[in-house]
Amino acid sequence: MDRVAITGMGVVSSLGDSHRDVHAALCQGRSGLRPVTQFASTGAPCRLAGPVADFDEKKYLPGRNLRPLDRLARLATSAVKLALADTGWTPELLRSNEAGLALGTMFGAAHTVGEFDRGTVINGPGSASPLDFANTVLNAAAGQAAIWHGLTGINSTITTGITAGLDAIGYATDLIRSGRATVVVAGGAEEFSLETVHAFERAGLLCGSHGGEPLPVPFHARRNGIAPGEGAAFVILEDLDRALAGGRPVLAEIRGHAGTMDTSGAKDGKLAMEAIARSIKLALRDAGCGPDDIDCLSASANGSVATDGYEACAAACALGGRAAHLPVTAVKSMLGDTLGASGVMQLIDLVESMRQGTLPGIPNLDEVDAGFPLPMAGPESRELNARIGLVNSVGAHGSSCSLVVALRT
Amino acid sequence: MRRRVVVTGAGVVSSIGLGRQPFWTNLMDGRSGISPVESMDTSEHGFHRGGEVKGFTPGPWFRRLDPGCMGRASQFGVAAGRMALDDAGLDPLEVDAQSAGVAMGTTSGEPEYLRCFDDHLVAGTLDKAGVEADLLRYLAHTIAANIACEMGFGGVNTTIPCACAAGNYAIAYAFDAVGSGRADLMMAGGADAFARVPYTGFARLGAVAPEVCRPFDRNRKGMIPGEGAAVLVLEPLEHARRRGAPIYAEIAGYGLSCDAYHMTSAHPEGAGAARAMTSALAQSGMGPEDVSYISAHGTGTASNDRLETIAVKRAFGESAYRAPISSIKSMLGHTMGAASAIEAAVCAVAIRENRIPPTMNFEEPDPECDLDYVPNRARDCDVRVTMSNAFAFGGANSSVIFKRIEG
Repeated sequence: MDRVAITGMGVVSSLGDSHRDVHAALCQGRSGLRPVTQFASTGAPCRLAGPVADFDEKKYLPGRNLRPLDRLARLATSAVKLALADTGWTPELLRSNEAGLALGTMFGAAHTVGEFDRGTVINGPGSASPLDFANTVLNAAAGQAAIWHGLTGINSTITTGITAGLDAIGYATDLIRSGRATVVVAGGAEEFSLETVHAFERAGLLCGSHGGEPLPVPFHARRNGIAPGEGAAFVILEDLDRALAGGRPVLAEIRGHAGTMDTSGAKDGKLAMEAIARSIKLALRDAGCGPDDIDCLSASANGSVATDGYEACAAACALGGRAAHLPVTAVKSMLGDTLGASGVMQLIDLVESMRQGTLPGIPNLDEVDAGFPLPMAGPESRELNARIGLVNSVGAHGSSCSLVVALRT
Repeated sequence: MRRRVVVTGAGVVSSIGLGRQPFWTNLMDGRSGISPVESMDTSEHGFHRGGEVKGFTPGPWFRRLDPGCMGRASQFGVAAGRMALDDAGLDPLEVDAQSAGVAMGTTSGEPEYLRCFDDHLVAGTLDKAGVEADLLRYLAHTIAANIACEMGFGGVNTTIPCACAAGNYAIAYAFDAVGSGRADLMMAGGADAFARVPYTGFARLGAVAPEVCRPFDRNRKGMIPGEGAAVLVLEPLEHARRRGAPIYAEIAGYGLSCDAYHMTSAHPEGAGAARAMTSALAQSGMGPEDVSYISAHGTGTASNDRLETIAVKRAFGESAYRAPISSIKSMLGHTMGAASAIEAAVCAVAIRENRIPPTMNFEEPDPECDLDYVPNRARDCDVRVTMSNAFAFGGANSSVIFKRIEG
């Protein structure tokens, strides 16, 4: 089976557009979250969120007409651009390799679809623009990014909820392992929109939905929901031998991954925990390693009352005694939950953490439940001596994905 | 060691029948599922016909979940999934649930929730809206998740919303999941419900035919929006043989590609579509001369059918004229994310039945479309290898190949 290398990383986030800068910010405990009121008039008082405030796509995508791209496509296409630039992929090289694209997203084009639909309600169907209709398909961002960058290989969009980005990485990894593709740009993108806010608010999942100060702090004893984030993150995945032969830097290697489903739809805590534990164990098995080989964990935890707890218990269950000594981070504490992009942001920062030897803390985590099974989780960033990391992604509806990433030795 | 993957069950929810057998019979008889649209107001459009599934009641297909807690695409998907498991002779309670997964394609997810949300938002009544405007229920992933929760399948679970090629993308994913050992059983297909946004959008693109969909005909006027679902049961050949399951066909391989050219127009020389077909053939270890039947994307628009013909010729060379190719969208309309799943079911069943469906409403040949489109009448022939083609907005192309299991 072919080995899979990461040879480029790109991120557009509320904490910046360079994976090095974002890592520095995370280690300093800086937060991309801010109070937002822009959707209050529609009845959804989102209290805290992490939008990409000053996103200027022209900085990444100069010289061509951006009108056909909606915000999601602009975020995705920009992050792809940054990932390609990270290791010097040229358009010629991409085309000759028939580079593919796998894009994970939770809401996808929901905002564009909604705007299109509302426009026809207000102004009649005759007012609808065919150009806008092209962007109402859920795979529009992947199509636009492929057109922009000349990606002629497999073009897939994965929508599995919050786990979509990490699932897309796993999907692309398997395409390379099986020889179906040699290069795949894989990642996730999510737009902060009124549709997102309304969806989570109605479900009571936003921080402060049930009153009180918003506290979207992962694993905190008084956590009360999530703060939605925004952004896009992509990595270049390719066959390890080809990367080396092509002289491209191998930033890390994907060792294994797995996905599972909790068939109670996250309604039964025991089943939810079992499903997450199963995805961790299967990912370790796929990677050919055991719990003691894992040096650090990037948790999916986002401040959700229910799923943070399931995830912590599942990690302890799957990793046994290792859990007590495992350095843990949860970057959604500062980026918000960027949903379909979140797993990829976690992956990129965990690679950066292992390479730089520093792991971000979880700011404001000053109080955890008694008997909390991941005692190394704490507010301060720490030094890290790690070679193999585990990334978890847990959906609000029962999906779960785990991935093992390693520095090359 | 990669495992061989076979299709052992098929379930179809369509405007011409529920369940594989009724669907197949009506398909072979050339029945049309196109009728006046009832689920939405079409008064502001110049045409009022669609391929709606009339009289569908979800209740009988559900054992665990309340169908009222999900949208119509999920209900279709669960029904088609239940039919497919029955067809495969599988009781979900006896399956190893943790190694059984679901992969579904869709174009629109559960659009009725978004429609209600939008109507309330425009009317300023969101504060009074109930669960009918719940946008978490709108999201595409709910389709595969609902099927998994209903069947109790805890393995890999994914939804691939690659628009009009989504079913093929999901089947390709499931094929690899079973082949690589990530799953021992996959339910794979696509589902879409009739929706306001695509109906309006295709109308604005000038792509909708007012009365009849006649793919590859000189006087074709466009596609007709439809809805439905299909689910295939995929499992390793060895498992199917061990349990004595009837096998429709083996999946031989697939090819996926992207035009990277234009969001809604296909490449003018059919380059991307031809690459998908060529790569599917190469992966299957076959040549164009081996293909007994091509299920066309065949939407009935002037542009698709002309470019698809060019692409088939580009991939098949002279063999293009020997491989019959038909479009069942002439009967069902375009069922969006379900289309290629339904067509894949047809490609699998055709191998066992040694029959291929017609392109209906075919009256006048188009000089630019000069292949054998199986006009107006189903055909009995030796069907060993079938290819299911689907192309989507965003330039996503797909081709899946099925072959007969000998012996």
